[in-house]
Amino acid sequence: MSLSGLGDMLSVGILNGGLYALMAAGLALILGVMSVANFAHGEFYLLGAYFGFSFTASLGLNPILGIIMAAVCAFVAGSLVERVLFYPLRKRSQEDWILNTFLLTVGLSMVIQNGAQLIGGMKYRGIPQYWKGVVRVGGTSMSVDRAVAFLISITAIVALWLFLDRTRLGRAFRAVAQDEAGAALLGVNLHQIENLAFGLSTALAGLAGASLLSITKAYPSMGATPLNMSWYVIILAGLGNIRGSIVSGFIVGLLQSVSYQFLGSGWPQALNLGLISLLLLLRPTGLFGTAVKD
Amino acid sequence: MHNTERPKSTQRNDMFAKPRLLGLSPVALLGWAILAIVPLFVKNTYVIYLMTFSLLLGSQAMAFDFSVGFINIVNFGFAGFVGLGAYTSGLLATKLGISPWISMWAGALAGGLLGLLIGALTLRLRGLYAAVMAWFATLTLMAVTTAWVSLTRGNYGLSVVSLFKSVDIQPYYYTLLPISFGIYVLLHGITRSHIGLAFRAIGQNLGAAQASGVDPARYKIINFMVSCACAGLLGAFHAHWVGTITPSLMNSPHTIEVLALAYIGGRGSIWGGLVAALMIIPTFENLRSLLEMRLIIYGALLILVMIFYPSGLAGIFRQIGHLVTRLRKGTTEKE
Repeated sequence: MSLSGLGDMLSVGILNGGLYALMAAGLALILGVMSVANFAHGEFYLLGAYFGFSFTASLGLNPILGIIMAAVCAFVAGSLVERVLFYPLRKRSQEDWILNTFLLTVGLSMVIQNGAQLIGGMKYRGIPQYWKGVVRVGGTSMSVDRAVAFLISITAIVALWLFLDRTRLGRAFRAVAQDEAGAALLGVNLHQIENLAFGLSTALAGLAGASLLSITKAYPSMGATPLNMSWYVIILAGLGNIRGSIVSGFIVGLLQSVSYQFLGSGWPQALNLGLISLLLLLRPTGLFGTAVKD
Repeated sequence: MHNTERPKSTQRNDMFAKPRLLGLSPVALLGWAILAIVPLFVKNTYVIYLMTFSLLLGSQAMAFDFSVGFINIVNFGFAGFVGLGAYTSGLLATKLGISPWISMWAGALAGGLLGLLIGALTLRLRGLYAAVMAWFATLTLMAVTTAWVSLTRGNYGLSVVSLFKSVDIQPYYYTLLPISFGIYVLLHGITRSHIGLAFRAIGQNLGAAQASGVDPARYKIINFMVSCACAGLLGAFHAHWVGTITPSLMNSPHTIEVLALAYIGGRGSIWGGLVAALMIIPTFENLRSLLEMRLIIYGALLILVMIFYPSGLAGIFRQIGHLVTRLRKGTTEKE
């Protein structure tokens, strides 16, 4: 392989890694804080893309503004969903919570995905580009859009990390993730935290969807691959481990781009399955640790 | 006897408890008898086609419920096991010339083996791991089936030997019916045996089950394997009925349809999913305008059932049953 081929492979891996890290961090956040296994996460990515399309292509907003607005809309959608679906379920019964919420998100995913198809049709909605031009890094080149999307995801990831690490609210998030009852005793408003956590998680997914609009066009089934990959990432990291998910996101991005290069389509999936099976066999807590038993 | 103390939900038909054939209540026997004789009177091909299709999906929902309703494990890759059964049987029959009547069992075996593998790997961990790994396995099966064109013809679809020479639907119906009935009797029988008691104990209170000497992982793996083997068998039947199989058979919406049917029917009832399928699928087929919204409706129904009526159709029937019992008691007391 030529040197530039190697460079391309690595840069694609790192760029995709940014996307996976962003998606997976959101997924891990609500798994940790709310014990919700969200299988509609890909659909919030989809919502982000559709919102992004509406704001930038239909309304003609400035791309950065449009992308931020799309993330805000995804936040609102997420916290609405939490209020309308999870809150009543929590009030009704907390038995089998993980199982029940998981199925709830499966239903939600069906509704959003097929709703998008019903309303918008099986049509690709994309934009040729947000920004013109090409960036050269070392021997490889990439479009400005890709570079900006990557910068956006890195910024969001760093912001999330600082938020969880440095702010009072972030500490409350981590407290709830560690021990819900204990956090409530110390005066953390559980309901508010959960609502925020869900909104934040869906906002991250929406941000990813909107910022990649010129690369991955808005389409009803577009959420499937990011969902699959972000679940792969968080199993690899250890379920619910947010920081571990960020690191694993990049590992998976690189792994995928390398295996695709050498194995072609279809078979990288098998490699992934083999690796994750090996991991569960040898170290089920994941690379960065989590509780694996009920 | 092991099951002197039966779990609550198996006591519900105690008013009919006396005569039991194959452990089934008269109501259940009547239901199966109706399924058996309807095609003798209704000669309409389309109706029988719909019944076959509903029976096929309903049986899948029964197998699905066997795991989710008893050991709290969602097999989120269910369609993959169906597809594995279909391709195993289809390839054996087509490439090696084995009779489909025999290769179908190989399909069941393949489903069961994959279930065993995934179960052994994940069922000692949190329930989520089994769901996610089954899903990954299915995505992988689908990707590999699509990519391995020389073996499976990928997205072009694999033409498969049919079970019967004629295109008549009735023989297929009467092949599927005993399979479905067998699956029902098997699953229902297991849940009523001492193994079923262990399943329930695990599902309801893991710690207490362990404390009373039940090895949860072993029972969970058995359960998962049986459910997956049923999926494989039904997939194999599907292949030799339809005649062409494509990787899209393993697509997630198929899993979700089965999952939704099982939940709408009532989790933990086994038969609920079958009743739901027999009610819902013909309704969709007859209202063509709804067909387009099928998956949205499944999703919405799933959400509604989860939040507002977790016991599903089985819960409604059970309440009617209680009402009847109470009315009867009321009248006998007056007499």
